[in-house]
Amino acid sequence: MSEFRVSADIGGTFTDLVVDPADGPTFVGKVATTPDNPARGVIEGVQQLIPNASEINFFVHGTTVGLNAFLERRGERVLLLMTAGSGDSYSIARGNRQTLYDLQYRKPEQLVARRDVHEIGGRLAWDGEELEPLNHDDLATVVDKVKSEGIASVAVCFLHSYAHPQHELEAGKILSEALPGVSITLSHTVAPEWREYERASTAVMNAYVAPVVQRYLSSLEQQFADLGMGATVHVMQSSGGVATAEAARDKPVFTLLSGPVGGTVGGVSLAKAMGRNNLLCVDMGGTSFDLSLVIDGSGTATTETELEGLPLLMSILDIQTIGTGGGSIAWMEGEGLRVGPHSAGSQPGPACYGRGGKEPTVTDANVFLGRLGVASLLGGDMTLDLDAATTAINSLADRAGMTPTALAEGILAISNAAMADAMRTITVSQGLDPRDFSLVAFGGAGPMAAVFLAQELDISEVVVPNFPGTFSAWGMLQTDLRSDQTCAYYSPTQSVDLSDLEKHYQALEQEGAEALRAQGVADEALSFERSADMRYIGQEYSINVALPAGSQVDDIVAAFHESHERRYGHGSPGAPVEFVNLRLAAFGALVRSDFEEPGQGGGEADPVLGERQAIYGGQELPTPVYDRLKLTSSHSLAGPAIIEEKSATTVVPPGWVARVDDIGNILITREGSQ
Amino acid sequence: MSTQVDPVTTEIIRNAFIAIANDMNATLIRSAFTPVIYEGKDCSVALIDDQGEVLGQSLGLPLFLGNLEICVKLIAEQHGWDYFKPGDVFYMNDSYMTGTHLNDSTVIMPIFHNDQRIGFAASRAHWLDVGAKDPGTPVDSHEIYQEGTRWGPTRLYDGGVARDDVIDLLRRNSRFGDALIGDLNAQIAAGRTGERRLKSLFDRFGVETIRAARDEIFRQTETRERQAVGEIPDGSYVAEGALDDDGLGNGPVPVKLKIDVAGDSMQLDLTGSSPQARGPINCGLTQTIAAVRVAYKLLVSPDVSPNGGSFKPLEVSAPDSSVFNAKEPAACGWYFTPLGLLIDLVIKALAPAMPGRVAGAHYGDSMVITIAGNDPRNGDQPYLMIEPTTGGWGAFDGGDGANSLINNVNGSFKDLPIEVFERKYPLRIRRYNIREDSGGAGRYRGGNGTYREYEVLSDSVLYLWFERAVTPAWGLFDGGDARPPRVEVDVPGEDTETYLKVNAKPVPVGTIIRSRTGGGGGFGPAMERAPEQVRADVLDGLVTRDAAREQYGVVLGDDGSVDAQATEAVRAASA
Repeated sequence: MSEFRVSADIGGTFTDLVVDPADGPTFVGKVATTPDNPARGVIEGVQQLIPNASEINFFVHGTTVGLNAFLERRGERVLLLMTAGSGDSYSIARGNRQTLYDLQYRKPEQLVARRDVHEIGGRLAWDGEELEPLNHDDLATVVDKVKSEGIASVAVCFLHSYAHPQHELEAGKILSEALPGVSITLSHTVAPEWREYERASTAVMNAYVAPVVQRYLSSLEQQFADLGMGATVHVMQSSGGVATAEAARDKPVFTLLSGPVGGTVGGVSLAKAMGRNNLLCVDMGGTSFDLSLVIDGSGTATTETELEGLPLLMSILDIQTIGTGGGSIAWMEGEGLRVGPHSAGSQPGPACYGRGGKEPTVTDANVFLGRLGVASLLGGDMTLDLDAATTAINSLADRAGMTPTALAEGILAISNAAMADAMRTITVSQGLDPRDFSLVAFGGAGPMAAVFLAQELDISEVVVPNFPGTFSAWGMLQTDLRSDQTCAYYSPTQSVDLSDLEKHYQALEQEGAEALRAQGVADEALSFERSADMRYIGQEYSINVALPAGSQVDDIVAAFHESHERRYGHGSPGAPVEFVNLRLAAFGALVRSDFEEPGQGGGEADPVLGERQAIYGGQELPTPVYDRLKLTSSHSLAGPAIIEEKSATTVVPPGWVARVDDIGNILITREGSQ
Repeated sequence: MSTQVDPVTTEIIRNAFIAIANDMNATLIRSAFTPVIYEGKDCSVALIDDQGEVLGQSLGLPLFLGNLEICVKLIAEQHGWDYFKPGDVFYMNDSYMTGTHLNDSTVIMPIFHNDQRIGFAASRAHWLDVGAKDPGTPVDSHEIYQEGTRWGPTRLYDGGVARDDVIDLLRRNSRFGDALIGDLNAQIAAGRTGERRLKSLFDRFGVETIRAARDEIFRQTETRERQAVGEIPDGSYVAEGALDDDGLGNGPVPVKLKIDVAGDSMQLDLTGSSPQARGPINCGLTQTIAAVRVAYKLLVSPDVSPNGGSFKPLEVSAPDSSVFNAKEPAACGWYFTPLGLLIDLVIKALAPAMPGRVAGAHYGDSMVITIAGNDPRNGDQPYLMIEPTTGGWGAFDGGDGANSLINNVNGSFKDLPIEVFERKYPLRIRRYNIREDSGGAGRYRGGNGTYREYEVLSDSVLYLWFERAVTPAWGLFDGGDARPPRVEVDVPGEDTETYLKVNAKPVPVGTIIRSRTGGGGGFGPAMERAPEQVRADVLDGLVTRDAAREQYGVVLGDDGSVDAQATEAVRAASA
């Protein structure tokens, strides 16, 4: 009997699957996503690839169920309880404007209406002193409302609970006893960090998606059990680690952004295998373009993010959406030619999808120029309409007074330059220079644009990994179980008691270890990473600094100054520093296979599929088209060349050379640079 | 004749200009020392061409829109264009030149390529302290010499060489000299980023192509703005209002404007506005122009990134020695207070001509509360709490105004969370909520203002700068006016006092301060608001049942549902 490790990435249009057999090469699959019940698509895909589900010994997936419930505002009605006098901090949402030139500004739409925010008497001071006991009558009123209106989810966020949770715990006990079956989220258990609005927002998000995610996970587990799969269902978390479905049900907010992080985790794995420390990871699909960074071999993480303007406090890999990918529409504004920011999306999609799109997009330009073959999407399962693309390009070319070829190349030039500009701004804001990076391109459209982006950014090496179209799913197989713990810890470093600090970390490690043991992790597979949020005394915002066990105060302070210098371009050695939060990431190591030799098709087979005319710089050039599966490390392809595979098309323009490295990546470098 | 440039190259260059400005801004924010810049985004950058026209601007603090290039042109007017040398870094903060208060530092760096001047990198950022008589910005100054040191365009780097003695002078004249130098260096770093990127763009495309593209970009922008202005019916549009006082008790302070629209251009004149005031509410003409440009942009071109083709259809004039065109020695510390009103009035004046784009007035000013004292929890260390307060915004055709939102002339301000506030200061927030019924009634309801109640936990002093009681936010098209602001102070054992502005009032332990900011104006007749919407407002606690009946003519039954018959009767009686 074979054994398989399996991952699934549920995207908006397709569900990608990657199977890693214990004995044999990795293989992939792609099925249509079933939005009404995404579990169905996953099960169908798995069945197609592995008929006997009992042979699956590990299953992980990234799900957008929670995210979609939020985006489509289909979550549960939530009742929010806040300390008397502070309930409107949720509705006021800190009073800031997210766009500055808008006379008709609307605040982000909150998930809880003001009428469903209830103030509960009882007040703690900042140091935990009880100024007024918790008001049980106020709670009783809420209990009545929950019962009479059939509300399924309650979030509780009391002032200062991040450090002093006694009132939240007391209320939680009363509510769970009085309201069996109702989902109760206590803010300090989800996000034990100060700032009541952000914490409430996180707790509300958890409460809002919890019932939806819980139903979905139970349904998926049941269907797998029916198929005879004995392995535990795992879920990707936004932090880049995985959790069991059981753990994910408890804090579903942590799985909200679980799809795209797979790509970053894959990037980290790739960095290690290739011996490259710095990678710009570009994930470009039909309608999205995400950028993440691997620096010194690690993914960059953040402890706070926003979804449609609503803040979330949680550990999350830093992924920046910087464009709309292949769907960006070219149009005339007055006499000026523009590309994006409007996107044709997946409906109707680019003109060449033949679904009624009339305006030319980036993808149409690629088809028109011969860079994207009409039968190259999904290994020929989806045919593109060259005539429709041509009509769209011709029509805009008329209005712009340009030849169709010049327009099509122009659309790509504008779009690539703009994407490169946005990428540069992101690196500049972190004090980084894109020239110090290799560019890793994945997603269906990434490998087509990659070299052009590298040209703009003066990057010397492009990496197209194996199975770029399912790279995010692949990345999910490269990660470990992870549980994050946080506690508030205010202390100037000057007067910090190291043994007390150690005690706090050990307590966090205990919590983390317990959380992972509950997910079946053996003690020898446990490891921990400590870090602390720190800042100069007087600063509002902190930065997260890694803190290996056994660090001395001087090391800690030096590490902070150095991080500050890197993040902000200056440090103030000598200025007093304080701790704000202690953080612990607990990991449970998972077994995974090594990178393998590519070229399943065998090194002897002719990799040339054919030849087509493609246009570069106004010149139509005969361009050989290669089958990626037949490429080996003995091949060296000078541009122009096109490399096709089931999930993506790689374009190697003139002046660049592609070869295959010993773990199967396509490496593209400037001609003469090797 | 001039070089021809194709639309693709033009668009790539246009995007690059904006991207360079964004990179400069990212550098500034990344490197700044003080939170007012890196959190509050109280800053702005611009990439400017060799003749002082904007190539790209990052949309930072609105009030700094379109005024950096004026500073470049002012230097050229004074000294000629040849005054600029490679490696120069200019600093200036003179209120009568830059228009703003002395805290705002303008840094200008010329950019050269192959010995030819190709442009300027400019930035402006708010510095914490420039040596005024009181920390930060005094509320009672009456001449500029009390507000800090004043600098005309001064070289901090001369041909690439730092003038250490001059930089040292800057440092010594601030209560937070090290932070000031840190912020100055961040501005210079932003300039260097702009310089590097603009030079590489010239390397790539060459001078001729870039200038041709620039001309085309400017031409397109101007054409589109002229089209937009051309759609405004010709005529004279007027509006007036008044500030409560100048901070020293002199008021009200009238603000009056007239906009003449003829064809595709418009002219705004501030004749009739107050002569410059004794208190610190004056500003230089440069800043007045910038504020009018903000209003113009909000109405005419909200989505367009400004460049040298922008604002061409707009001309602004203000009488000499008025609050909008102040001369030495007028105090300018709170220069933004009249500008907030000015922006609202421009919108009011043009409302009849562009009803779909306008909104009722917003609550109007930053409503700053400052409490200072010593913190007994912290060895009696001094503490200084300064915070602007949010308020209601005006309703518009299609939407209610926002509740509790920061005012128009502020940047990315966020209120301080109660948990942070109470840990940081010996003060307690007893209540923070949306102030019901404070927005103007209307078919679309004006946003509500904010109520914030403080308890003083150790003997302290209070400063207040609240405004717009004389001219509270007005409604449009028969929408109702909003309620004005009010602050009550309860010192233990004394009668409640009401203030809007106060300077250094002692507030002993146990004092309760209740601040209320105004709402925004309504839009359209309140009697036309759908009864179900009024009911929803009552359920959400934004409108009281009484106000629902009196202002909206909506009667709710005991179960909270709309009493349709009674509502119809009340509405019919009021018609």
